[in-house]
Amino acid sequence: MSSEQQPSSAGSAAPRQEMLGAENYVQLVDIRKEYDGFVAVDEVNLAIRKGEIFALLGASGCGKSTLLRVLAGFEQPTRGEVKVDGQRMNGQPPYRRPINMMFQSYALFPHMSVEQNVAFGLKQDGMPAAQIKQKVDEMLGLVQMGAYAKRRPHQLSGGQQQRVALARSLAKGPKLLLLDEPMGALDKKLRSQMQLELVNIIERLGVTCAMVTHDQEEAMTMAHRIAIMDAGKIRQVGTPDEIYEQPNSRFTAGFIGQVNLFEGKIEDDEKDYISIRSPDLPAPLYVGHGVTGYEGMEVALAVRPEKILISKDEPEQPHNKAQGVIEEIAYLGSHSVYHVRLPSGKRVLANMTNVRRWASESFTWNDQAWLSWGDQSGVVLTS
Amino acid sequence: MSKGNSKLSLTLLAIGFVFLYAPILSLIIYSFNESRLVTVWAGFSLKWYGELFADSQIMSAAWVSIQIAFMTASLAVVLGTMAGLVMTRMRRFPGKTLFGGLITAPLVMPEVIIGLSILLLFVSLGDVIGIGSRRGMTTILIAHVTFCMAYVTVVVSSRLSEMDRSLEEAAMDLGANRVKVFFVITLPIIAPALISGWLLAFTLSLDDLVIASFVSGPSSTTLPMKVFSSVRLGVSPKINALATLMILVVSIGAVVAWWLMSRDEKRRQRDMQMALQKGD
Ligand SMILES: Nc1ncnc2c1ncn2[C@@H]1O[C@H](COP(=O)(O)OP(=O)(O)OP(=O)(O)O)[C@@H](O)[C@H]1O
Ligand SMILES: [Mg+2]
Repeated sequence: MSSEQQPSSAGSAAPRQEMLGAENYVQLVDIRKEYDGFVAVDEVNLAIRKGEIFALLGASGCGKSTLLRVLAGFEQPTRGEVKVDGQRMNGQPPYRRPINMMFQSYALFPHMSVEQNVAFGLKQDGMPAAQIKQKVDEMLGLVQMGAYAKRRPHQLSGGQQQRVALARSLAKGPKLLLLDEPMGALDKKLRSQMQLELVNIIERLGVTCAMVTHDQEEAMTMAHRIAIMDAGKIRQVGTPDEIYEQPNSRFTAGFIGQVNLFEGKIEDDEKDYISIRSPDLPAPLYVGHGVTGYEGMEVALAVRPEKILISKDEPEQPHNKAQGVIEEIAYLGSHSVYHVRLPSGKRVLANMTNVRRWASESFTWNDQAWLSWGDQSGVVLTS
Repeated sequence: MSKGNSKLSLTLLAIGFVFLYAPILSLIIYSFNESRLVTVWAGFSLKWYGELFADSQIMSAAWVSIQIAFMTASLAVVLGTMAGLVMTRMRRFPGKTLFGGLITAPLVMPEVIIGLSILLLFVSLGDVIGIGSRRGMTTILIAHVTFCMAYVTVVVSSRLSEMDRSLEEAAMDLGANRVKVFFVITLPIIAPALISGWLLAFTLSLDDLVIASFVSGPSSTTLPMKVFSSVRLGVSPKINALATLMILVVSIGAVVAWWLMSRDEKRRQRDMQMALQKGD
């Protein structure tokens, strides 16, 4: 593996966007799925690019697995269309789709060896035995499980089982790889290691991948793009930093990471700025970019804790500031989180990086402190 | 628990065992009795075993029973597995609950009623299309399959419903169609349940007296029917010998099954240990 591949898989994958291929490689058009009248998934429109790792992120029961199963062909959508590489998939049974899935429970066949498990899909295609052998060796090498070829699944540890499951779902060279909670059964330490390795393998093979997770850190680490799901609907689609920095609603802002929401009304709406009057804050809120709104419109300003500066002296700017009392300090090593109570009763979170040793000691409980943030730091939310 | 208390419970346990096994034990002992009188011990002998094998009526009844039990068990496993699949793998359809109830009803139905109703069915079928009018091995077989199938269905569908569905889905995902998935994945995994279902049906059929009596014909006397009728004419030690042999066969079967299962379990545990030690 070349050295320049390392950082992309280790950090945010966003810079690699331009390397991706065809725009609408996998397409979901207006998908709706009902179970006996209960709507599990509704109005889902998604396009996944070739070679992309796409994550469906949402709370338990929001319909992520259902959507994945619609893609795999285990469930037929009540309405809508599934297309892969231009081919319509509706009505096709799972065994005729160029899609393979890695199951949450791994679903390794207990009565077959590791080797036979990986060979299973190839055998179904009627591949000659010699070629199967070669392919199986190649796949097991890829996941570093070559030494375990003759073992049975129950003779493997959880992490090893996952590698075999991955090798099996990649063996047929699917156009789309589905991962259902890929790290769900692993302990925390193994999890972060496997996340990187999985991304590495998937990117090396250039396979398009849709994964389901309820762990936002996992989605941020592994995926090129993320779809936030809630109650069967897609709330936002974007790269990890888009989702984090430009949430499109109060829901996504609150779902990913921590956020301070200031509710208020637009007081002044100009071309290149707006100001918002919030009952939570004494000073007006000033946002250095326009929004499509009108004066008097109810909006919320979302400001992430790490965008808020905390200081002893009053900042010079006339807006985007407030004074309060430090109620709580959570020391997290690399940074500390300050819980500041404003006179209005509003509680605001502010992060401060612990640049110097004992830096966090400059503030303590019940200190008065000033909070402030820049014109571009907040996002105006209208929904 | 106090000492006196544990003594009491031990005594109760002993009484229970005696109550259960004393009759069987005396039956086995008297099968080796020299005397024709069942109640008087006159020394060890194997002569009743000799007489048993020389009795062509008992031997042919045994042969009939074994044939019927073998075919019943095999058919019941096939049909019971199919019913189990319908119960656990098919999506809901109108009448599914009713179907499940009907299939397992023979478990609680008195045998007399099953026997009688099947007899009536055969009689009326005989009037209409002429089959079933000649009662014999076939009619016993049909009757046995209907009630043994209920037991097999229960055993198999409980195994099917506890089996991880994603195994079948994974196989289908990898390109195997439904039929292939059943034979290559489902069947090998539920095989132990099929074997125990088969053994259960075999013993149930071998053991049945009531239902067979209703639907048998003149040419088809099963072993339990033969035993029952000969005992009514007076107990012969021959029957003791027969019963002893049957107990022997059943015990060997049970021990072998237990041994196979425990060996499997031990190996699994050892493998698991190994994996944990070598694990990454
Ligand atoms: N076969 C089914 N029949 C009826 N309802 C179902 C079925 N499968 C899923 N549902 C319902 O659809 C909704 C979405 O389920 P789904 O499994 O897609 O959730 P999920 O987002 O994957 O949740 P989790 O993170 O817990 O796995 C749930 O409310 C669930 O109860
Ligand atoms: Mg799920």
